[in-house]
Amino acid sequence: MTKVNIAKIGYACAYTPLVLLAAGGYTPYRILPMSDCPDQAGQLLHDNLCPHVKRILDRAISKDLPDLEGIVLMNSCDAMRRLADAWAHVRPDDKIIFLDLPATADDAAIAYFTGELSRLNDALSEWCGHTITQRHIAASIALYNKLPPLFSRFSERLRRGQLKGGSARMQTLYNAAMSLPFDNSLETLEQILAEPQSKDPQLDSIPVFLFGNVLADPEALRLFESCGARIIEDDLCTGSRLFTSIEFDENRDVLPQISRNLLNRPPCARTFDPAQPLKMAEDILGRARASGARGVIGQTIKFCDPYLDRLPAVRETLRQAGIPLLLLEGDCSLGTIEQQRTRIEAFIEMLD
Amino acid sequence: MYQYFKDMAAGIEAKIQQDPDLPNPRKKYALETARLGSRLYSGKDTVAWCGIAVPFDLLNAMGITSCFVEFVGAVLAATGMAEPFLEEAEQAGFVGDTCGFHRTVIGAARKQIMPEPDFLIATTCPCSGGIAIMENLARIFNKELFVLNVPQTDEPRNVRYLADQLKDMVEFISRHTGKPLDLERLRRAIECTNKASATMKAAYRLAQQIPSPTNGRLLINFGIVWPLFMGTPAAIEIAQAYLDEFIARIKNGAPGVADEKLRLLWIQNRIQFNNPLVELLEKEYQTNIVSDELNDIYWDPIDPDDPYPGMARRAITIPFNGNIQDRIKHLRKLARAYQLDGAINPCNWGCRQGTGAKGMISEGLKEIGIPVLNLEVDCVDKRNFAEGQLRTRLEAFIEMLENQPRPQH
Repeated sequence: MTKVNIAKIGYACAYTPLVLLAAGGYTPYRILPMSDCPDQAGQLLHDNLCPHVKRILDRAISKDLPDLEGIVLMNSCDAMRRLADAWAHVRPDDKIIFLDLPATADDAAIAYFTGELSRLNDALSEWCGHTITQRHIAASIALYNKLPPLFSRFSERLRRGQLKGGSARMQTLYNAAMSLPFDNSLETLEQILAEPQSKDPQLDSIPVFLFGNVLADPEALRLFESCGARIIEDDLCTGSRLFTSIEFDENRDVLPQISRNLLNRPPCARTFDPAQPLKMAEDILGRARASGARGVIGQTIKFCDPYLDRLPAVRETLRQAGIPLLLLEGDCSLGTIEQQRTRIEAFIEMLD
Repeated sequence: MYQYFKDMAAGIEAKIQQDPDLPNPRKKYALETARLGSRLYSGKDTVAWCGIAVPFDLLNAMGITSCFVEFVGAVLAATGMAEPFLEEAEQAGFVGDTCGFHRTVIGAARKQIMPEPDFLIATTCPCSGGIAIMENLARIFNKELFVLNVPQTDEPRNVRYLADQLKDMVEFISRHTGKPLDLERLRRAIECTNKASATMKAAYRLAQQIPSPTNGRLLINFGIVWPLFMGTPAAIEIAQAYLDEFIARIKNGAPGVADEKLRLLWIQNRIQFNNPLVELLEKEYQTNIVSDELNDIYWDPIDPDDPYPGMARRAITIPFNGNIQDRIKHLRKLARAYQLDGAINPCNWGCRQGTGAKGMISEGLKEIGIPVLNLEVDCVDKRNFAEGQLRTRLEAFIEMLENQPRPQH
């Protein structure tokens, strides 16, 4: 790392190259849609737009944010595009960079996205007042590569029913790692891993695989568990998808390697392989089976086209495979999940 | 469907023949659309289902019968047949919160009334829903899908990226057809595009006159459908017909709307199913929809000797792409050119790209004195069409416009 700098850069998407932000000495700060801010985003954005984005905008309008040196937004979907527009509208003095993000991960897309990362690197260098070099980025990657193995160990404990606090605690750890200074996160994770493991694994609840987009409130995970579910693995953009190791060869340019890693990590629905249309459905089936889950819960945000238009294929694929599926739609508030408690309980009872 | 389009084409041809000396722009435009429909369903052509930002002149130069998929939703809605296809999609799990155009297309594909393509070409612009639907169609038809990632701005690096993808697309198509691109044919196609664009630009300029020679029906869906004929003589013929029609109307003192009082812009998509709103505006309020957002030549002539950068730039600068400030800038340009009094934004339910930024569009136009009426409507699914409510809002909007000073353009 270049220097101790607690200045934060805001971000809102799991495709954000956190290692570059950290290489500039910044703490990446995930702007989660968890807030009691009044609903003001509706003045700019239509009612039918993603609640995730609107809650983030509400936080921006209400200044319910820490001091941010700047914000990095990704062109991951229509809603994120509009967030970038609306953010510039309500906070015109903020430094914003909006990165284009190809929908595919072919070589040309990786090369193009490398250029976008280079653009970000230039902007960050300007913001932080010094050139961010390959050496800075390599150091940042080395640090961030410490996180995925730690989270894998937590996942393993979760799967075995030996993580105290279950998936809600896991989510708390994800949330901390998304927004706290790296050293703090690392220290916390290592301390918790050093705690003695429960000798009495809690395996009486039903193992479930959870997929979707944004579900950051640990209370939502606790609610699933209170209904008798044990979330043994997730595929969420506020969960496992954010922290994946970057295979890094120091003798080669670093940005293409980050680009390849980001575009090839377990994808959000918006990124796909044209040669295997709707492979997302098979991926979810494969991961659910491998995890040993008895059922799958899909939790998506309302009006999220990348998911809404692909869920029918997921549903059909799981149906053919005989894997029960419960689809939930939310608006990032705990209330909408709470309203579905009866459905969740009925689903878990059916799996029992 | 093949017979439907064939009969439609024959009927329009017969009508044109009744007055062959008249420009007949709308008929010629409808005729080409019907011909395209019959080619799509003929079972003889190489067919590609595409995204909106695909360069259709390039595909036409390669002998591909191609069309954007939303066309199917629009045709089914316009003919009053969308409902069973919407229901089919919904029963398959495509929820009502998604785009009506896309749900209709999925329903049509599932009910096997969409022609089976030889391949598909998706574009990331204009919307996330559109590309997801292309992925679904590729799976339904079990055909190869090519994706064009359309960048957000036309800086040189972005233009190069898309231009290179277009070259890859040509290889992809050649692999399917077994025929390489004929460079001379492409050159001629681009010359057609340039001539058609220049002609239509002149026609649009005439449409800006007060009173306007156009009306709210002559150019419905034009800016989005006409590009399907780019690269062919038909695009020139249609553009010339509009130009001739407008010249004749101006010369004869026959405006598009008699006693034109107010001039409006229609933002994004028209309501595709039969509805009385445009007629209401014209007949009861002498209010003319003189332009649609896409009815504009927003791109520069394309170099026939090096067409890829120009085609890429055209795709990138489509008003639906990029940031909202650029889109507002374009809307303001139209507002000034057409000396508008107001604008209607039909916030198509399920369209995040189009309606997502409705507040910013309203503010952006209001700043130059152009009030915007946001109509909550689904442009394809008429099951929730609240005609009375919309009529009341439209009337109130017109009354408001009538009672305020005209914007200073």
